[in-house]
Amino acid sequence: MVKKQKQKSPLRRRVLRELRDEFGKYLVIFILLTLTISMVSGFLVAAGSMIQAYDESFEIYNIEDGHFTTAKQLSRAQRKAVQQLGISVYDLNYVEQPLENSRTMRIFAPRTEVDRVCLMQGGMPTEADEIAVDRMYADNNGLVIGDSLTSADGAMTWRITGLVALSDYSALFQDNNDSMFDSVQFGVAIVTPEGFDALGTDHLNWCYAWKYDTPVEDETEEKDRSEDLMKAMIDEVKLESFVPQYQNQAIHFTGDDMGGDRAMMAALLYIVIAIMAFVFGITINNTIAKESSVIGTLRASGYTKGELVRHYMAAPVLVTLISALIGNIAGYTVLKNVCANIYYGSYSLTTYKTIWNAQAFLLTTVVPIILMMLITFLVLWRKLSLSPLKFLRRDLSRNRSRRAVHLREKTPFFRRFRLRVIFQNAGSYVVLAIGILFANLLLMFGLAFPPVLDHYQAELSGNLLADYQYMLQVPLELTREDHKLENLIAALRFRSAVETEDPDAEKFSAYSLRTLGEEYPAEDILLYGVEPDSKYVSIEPGKVNISKAYADKYGIGAGDTITLKEEYEDTSYSFPVDSVYDYEGGLCVFMDRDSLNDAFELGTDYFCGYFSASEITDIDEQYIGSVVDLDALTKISRQLNVSMGSMMVLVDGFAVLIFVVLIYLLSKLTIEKNAQSISMAKILGYSDGEIGRLYILPTSIVVVVLLLLSLPIESWIMVFLFRAVMLQMMSGWIPLWIDPAIYWKMIALGVGSYAVVALLEVRRIKRVPMDEALKNVE
Amino acid sequence: MFIEVRQIQKSFGQGDSRIEVLHGIDLNIEKGEFCVLLGPSGSGKSTLLNILGGIDSADSGSICINGERMADMNEKRLTAYRRRHLGYIFQMYNLIPNLTVRENIEVGAYLSQDALDVDELLHTLGLHEHQRKLPNQLSGGQQQRTAIGRAIVKNPDILLCDEPTGALDYQTSKEILKLIETVNQKYGNTVIMVTHNDAIRLMADRVVRLRDGRIRSDEPNTHKLSAEELEW
Repeated sequence: MVKKQKQKSPLRRRVLRELRDEFGKYLVIFILLTLTISMVSGFLVAAGSMIQAYDESFEIYNIEDGHFTTAKQLSRAQRKAVQQLGISVYDLNYVEQPLENSRTMRIFAPRTEVDRVCLMQGGMPTEADEIAVDRMYADNNGLVIGDSLTSADGAMTWRITGLVALSDYSALFQDNNDSMFDSVQFGVAIVTPEGFDALGTDHLNWCYAWKYDTPVEDETEEKDRSEDLMKAMIDEVKLESFVPQYQNQAIHFTGDDMGGDRAMMAALLYIVIAIMAFVFGITINNTIAKESSVIGTLRASGYTKGELVRHYMAAPVLVTLISALIGNIAGYTVLKNVCANIYYGSYSLTTYKTIWNAQAFLLTTVVPIILMMLITFLVLWRKLSLSPLKFLRRDLSRNRSRRAVHLREKTPFFRRFRLRVIFQNAGSYVVLAIGILFANLLLMFGLAFPPVLDHYQAELSGNLLADYQYMLQVPLELTREDHKLENLIAALRFRSAVETEDPDAEKFSAYSLRTLGEEYPAEDILLYGVEPDSKYVSIEPGKVNISKAYADKYGIGAGDTITLKEEYEDTSYSFPVDSVYDYEGGLCVFMDRDSLNDAFELGTDYFCGYFSASEITDIDEQYIGSVVDLDALTKISRQLNVSMGSMMVLVDGFAVLIFVVLIYLLSKLTIEKNAQSISMAKILGYSDGEIGRLYILPTSIVVVVLLLLSLPIESWIMVFLFRAVMLQMMSGWIPLWIDPAIYWKMIALGVGSYAVVALLEVRRIKRVPMDEALKNVE
Repeated sequence: MFIEVRQIQKSFGQGDSRIEVLHGIDLNIEKGEFCVLLGPSGSGKSTLLNILGGIDSADSGSICINGERMADMNEKRLTAYRRRHLGYIFQMYNLIPNLTVRENIEVGAYLSQDALDVDELLHTLGLHEHQRKLPNQLSGGQQQRTAIGRAIVKNPDILLCDEPTGALDYQTSKEILKLIETVNQKYGNTVIMVTHNDAIRLMADRVVRLRDGRIRSDEPNTHKLSAEELEW
């Protein structure tokens, strides 16, 4: 007898062999986990890095504290006077240049002090006929370095030398009043000083950026200071617009919007991990069933439950660890770029530096590994609690009294057989049902998104309040509280200037409030005061209506009371809702003009815009703040299509992958579980086709039934989820519309994916050896 | 006495379908003894063996092994008891399919601080040249020899054999029996073997006959033969 030193468990040698023997199974699990982890990790890393880059860009590129435009160039005296208000003023003049492809390019001279430019690719222009254009505009319009831009009149042509990001245009809002930017129609660009001079002054906009001499602390202070500044500035110059940074959508929209989808990605990760853990659970159950007698022998020999739990946990945990490692590497390298490109597809962001993201590591690596270990541990612990004898007898059911379901003997034999297979695999099918539900939900989201936007656009065209809706721009000098006489004169001048002869035009007043933002992020609600006998919005006098979009988004109906507040004040207003007005174009409240003017003490004659069935041509453009027409209202859906389109393809692909993986794994398990019976059937003389009908057809039937049953459930969840996403992440409302064709597409994709798996399974059945039936049968 | 079994009773099922498998079994086995439990199918011999092995429990009665009462042991102590004292050999070999012969034996060796030398054992078992083969590359006899190796490598006090030759042909069965005999003689383990093969009783020190859950006879074998001499 030789005294032995304590050695490592020889069972550990099985782990790699198990991985090799079950290569297909572990490979698909590995692929799915790696893809999920890399996608989410890439997304979180890209988002984290870009948000940091965006935040840092304020300092790096010295982003303005605000800008204002004037009708004429500031005189030296005016500039000096303005600068004495505690700010430094910088030229930010631009030319709004229509291009031959009916796009608009806002062209700037080089910026050296504020709102500096980030060169993304190529070089800055050095000649008068050279131009560096916004990278996203170039992407969206298929422009590359070396291409040319031509003005609409054909008089000027520029050669593109570089692609840039302007730090004050991370979202390409042409007008700060626009509800959404449009990076297809509108772009920004930089030319040389000579090139800028050559543009002439016809289309020149006198724009000036400012920086406070002492930085502001927070948004409230920024608001107070900017209001004071504006009032003081009006005394010195005639302002056309005044946009403090916090109100500048071109600067702040990106920051507000980015990061909102992080929660969604994290949720996606956990759902996949939970499904994979389920799959691991089922797989482990299957392995335990397969190894029942070995486990019984080991337990009888004195192996502890803990030793066996650790042993059977090793392979799945190893796969998870490798997936996490490779997923993270891929996330930080390839996928990060893919996700960054999604952001670059939405925003004109400056360059970013990849930064280590502890949250991403925690969410994509630490938590999934712990979750996976916990679930496999629980499944194993529970399963291995059975006595060794039960394992030796291959009797792994806890419930002894389970009896065979009675099937009528008149039922054809094959059908009964298939039913038995279905009953036997009920547990696996429950997981399959969850997997199909989840995968199809993802698929539905991916497939439904583009039609939702198209439908929204189509719906809006038939659902406008008026073909044209003009929001007037009140001259800034009217806001001065002191110079009362001048105010009065300016007001009279304004009032006469905004009167129109157009018979279609109808006045309305409007006031903007915000939701309280208690449960969901606060957003703007526009309150319309319409004429009592309006041709465009027909509501009963004295009654308050809310738009259907508002009602749908917040689940408000007639009889409810809405409470809204001023954006920067504590004042809030409550209105009882009398009915819902069929309008999808925005979140608004309708009441008669007198009521609105009364409620906000705007004066009885106050109005701030026109509804019109025809274009109003007799109002000076300087008094028109914005025109809300179909084009303006559908900007949001167009932009979402541009920015989210590529994402949806990824979502679709991912959904199909999950679907295939789940079906592959579960049908493989079904066949493995029945390997002995299949082998015996072969010995008895059943053909592969017949065996396929017995063992593959039941899963096929279940898949098709589950596919069909899952559709209404998914629609229901989709409605719920879509609303939740809208509430949490988007201002405005796009109604969910599920194109009936999507259901067919989903069924086709589901059945198609299954057909691929079924073919693999037919091959697998052919490979089950006949001697399987003769092995280990007691 | 090394193993003392007192009034062991065991039944399966409930109500009308309740079957009494063991009706108050009393049994004493000496250390190093080769004891054969003989009986037809359903006589309760395997159940008794499983209770002795701590993988099944009796409804009543007591078992004392080397002064330790099994009834006092919880799940954890039972596992430790099996780990320290027992080796199991089954009719089906239950080898781990993706471990080699040597590794399968090492699975047993791992459980003991006092394990036998694996190489020496491989020679004893006649498996040295097959040590790198996987179970599916072995004959039934070789597989059973591997299973015996796995059971005895940890040098157990008691070797429990449940129909170890039940799935083997005559010649191979004799080889296996010779091996068990060698192990018993060489290492001095107590062997309790369940069989329905009457001829095997001739190689035992002691023969216990069971029928319908009762001991019909419990006698020492005064004319012990070697495994080589057995015929059936």
